[in-house]
Amino acid sequence: MGVSEWFKERLGLDDLPFFRTPDYMYKVEYWLGALVAGSFIYTVISGLILLLYYNPEAGYSSTETLIQEVPYGSVVLYSHLYGAYAMIILAYVHMFRNYFDGAYKKPRELLWILGVLMLVLTLGTAFLGYSLIGDALATSAVDVGEGIITSIPSLSFLIPILFGNYDAGDYGRVLAWHIILVALIGVLFMLHFFMAEHYGMMPSKKEKNKAPAVYTKEEWQKFNPWWPRNFVYMTSLVFMTWGFILLIPNALAYLNGLPQELNPFLNPKPAPPPNSPAAAHITTYPPWFFLFLYKIADFTSDVVVFLLIGVIIPLIYLLLVPFIDRSPYLDLKKRRLFTAFGILMITYLIQTTIWGDLTPGVEIPVYQQVIVYLPPAVITLAGVFLIPTSRKAVASPYGTLGFLVASLLFSGSLVTLVVSPSALTATVFALFAVLFLLAARSLTPVAIKVEKQSQQPEPQPVVSESPRNLEVKKRLAEVLISLLFIMSVVLAAQLWTIPATGYASNMFGVDLGLIFVMLGEAISLYHYVVYRK
Amino acid sequence: MIKFRLGKDEKEVLDYSNLTFFRKLASKIRDPRTKFDVKEFAKRGDDYLFNYVNKNVGSVDEKRRKFLKSLVFGIAAAAVVGIIPGVRVLVPPTITSVSGFPKSLLVDSSGNPIKASSLPVNSPVILLFEYPMTGEPNFLLNLGDSKGNPVEIPPTTVTIPQTGKTYQFPGGVGPNKSIVAYSAICQHLGCTPPYIHFYPPQYVSPAQLTASEPDQLSAEALLAAKQNHVPALIHCDCHGSTYDPYKGAAVLTGPTVRPLPAVLLEWDSTTDYLYAIGAIGVATYPNGANGVPSNDPTDDLSNSYGSPVGDKTTASGTENPFSS
Ligand code: FES
Repeated sequence: MGVSEWFKERLGLDDLPFFRTPDYMYKVEYWLGALVAGSFIYTVISGLILLLYYNPEAGYSSTETLIQEVPYGSVVLYSHLYGAYAMIILAYVHMFRNYFDGAYKKPRELLWILGVLMLVLTLGTAFLGYSLIGDALATSAVDVGEGIITSIPSLSFLIPILFGNYDAGDYGRVLAWHIILVALIGVLFMLHFFMAEHYGMMPSKKEKNKAPAVYTKEEWQKFNPWWPRNFVYMTSLVFMTWGFILLIPNALAYLNGLPQELNPFLNPKPAPPPNSPAAAHITTYPPWFFLFLYKIADFTSDVVVFLLIGVIIPLIYLLLVPFIDRSPYLDLKKRRLFTAFGILMITYLIQTTIWGDLTPGVEIPVYQQVIVYLPPAVITLAGVFLIPTSRKAVASPYGTLGFLVASLLFSGSLVTLVVSPSALTATVFALFAVLFLLAARSLTPVAIKVEKQSQQPEPQPVVSESPRNLEVKKRLAEVLISLLFIMSVVLAAQLWTIPATGYASNMFGVDLGLIFVMLGEAISLYHYVVYRK
Repeated sequence: MIKFRLGKDEKEVLDYSNLTFFRKLASKIRDPRTKFDVKEFAKRGDDYLFNYVNKNVGSVDEKRRKFLKSLVFGIAAAAVVGIIPGVRVLVPPTITSVSGFPKSLLVDSSGNPIKASSLPVNSPVILLFEYPMTGEPNFLLNLGDSKGNPVEIPPTTVTIPQTGKTYQFPGGVGPNKSIVAYSAICQHLGCTPPYIHFYPPQYVSPAQLTASEPDQLSAEALLAAKQNHVPALIHCDCHGSTYDPYKGAAVLTGPTVRPLPAVLLEWDSTTDYLYAIGAIGVATYPNGANGVPSNDPTDDLSNSYGSPVGDKTTASGTENPFSS
């Protein structure tokens, strides 16, 4: 009996109520939730290490001490930040994928609602964590937050509750809330996780195209059990996520003098403290995940309107969508309006974020808002409703995505042209206009071709790879694993030579991140060799 | 892939991997060690078969699988070995547990002790040394009158406007008793040189009213200098706080409500060396709770950020704010 068998028996892994997985689901898009969970766990672990050093009475100076003097302190701090970034991005991706798949429909409504609540909690936690550094950016972000709350007088009682004595330099409460919210996320996550395991991953639309999209007990029994294949696959994804979380910020730490527009996204280092003379010379910006809110605040001086547009309406929509869209259909073209809303939400989110980044705090007159927000709405609605109702009429996800990006760039450049007409903006606009037309045209043949296809009988079954080809690939994978092994040993040896503090110390994060990525890749190759048929 | 040629249309009957799978399955079932229970199979059907297959028939042969597994575990081991030095993140940097102020010899940037008698009088160059902790700069000043002759700095009583309390500043040291040292972190909001620095007598003049940052003097500061007959000043350009270097860095103009803490110096007349031996006044900015600087200079020492400078500290300075 092997070690794996031993664990399997002792831990009762066969009896776990975990979802068994069909072969076609071993693709990353079915595992986005695992990626979010992976980054959550990373962020919690690194956060606990930071907690050993952070002093809420000296937020800025203890952060500086952490970066400068604690062994590998900056590695942990920067990757904590990027762990949170990864979690936010992946949570959005996870959410929108499930949105377009109709995964919020029966019986997964609660699962969806829990997810939306977790997204809100995550953004809140991230904001509080950002405030803990106490640099000029954090204090100005808190100022803005406090400003929004106080402008609704009946809400101002919340300020001492949330921020405590923040302005006097005591971040104790912010730290406490940061941790409390994380604990809440943890609890909701457990619920979310077990419910997800209970209903199973959202099946492909080819298999189940109507809600309730769940496999029956009999179908389910034939799939791969959780142990060991799912475990192997999940481990590979988690290590890759961790690897990139470590690798990216620690590499970015070596970039200096980024253009201002890139700072909110790419600079992991704290800004100067608010009371330093240098603070007067920096442009303050909120964390990138709140840039969109920051921009909406420039649209209106009425805070209630601001909260309605920026927070309440989208949130209520997301929470209620399982009860609004009650048809059993999962197919996008049978849910046109909801598809359009989804595309628009993504477009507006990205658009407003970029806008907030480019023109922070610049007030925007109504006509410009219309110019920016109307075209995507028209394009999306027209696009979604003009696609014919025949089978598979909606273009491939990539086609839709390309179209989306093109329309986004198109309308963005149009605005830039209107706001500041010049030869450059005109050229850029022309370029994106062509791109947009091409993308729009590329959708049309899809629609037409599909109509033709639908008259034919059954489409050809997908030709599987010839065994010889697969065999060659598997051999290649084996060679790769061996190479990864050698490289990881070299890197591990190098890790021992990196100084614990100072300029070179971030190389530790880079190298360790690389090893994690290689480990993840090796496990994934192993999965390929052993399980791929 | 095994195919039967049926006219033009090729139809797949069985693919190669499935064929090998069936062969393996068949041999396993025949193998008495794996105990294929026919009765169970008849009873539970598919379920039993699937369990049996999962348990006994892998898709890749065992040797190859073991080899790959050990490589993967090898990489995992490398990751663990790599993380080991990182565990040091749990070890806090030397925690300051100084019970008192260290006695530190002031040395120049090449490590030679500074001679008190060779310190230039009223120098506009900002000369700084860290004390008692790293990251805490202090001015080293040899004060003179408006003609540039060193003047004796007598002991005085300094008042802390914030609290109304007072403390005794012991005066200057050195051959002319003209050498003093003060914290170079403004007690108002913590600006550091060059925003806060010493203005020698020739720069305490209306000409500085229009000078650019960080050499500007406010009208208020000039007036205070005149009224108190102070030839030279320490002035902070961030918000205009002014301190009197001749009177223990007492407050001349706000917004600061605390004097700069003074570093106690000792002069060894036989060697002409200078030592920093302690501090007096309030604690170095911003030590104390809630960002409000403390009134107790020893607060500095219980602070775990920064480490003590040890028995030597380097006083160096090349920056002359007025020459730029
Ligand atoms: S910091 Fe020196 S005057 Fe404000």
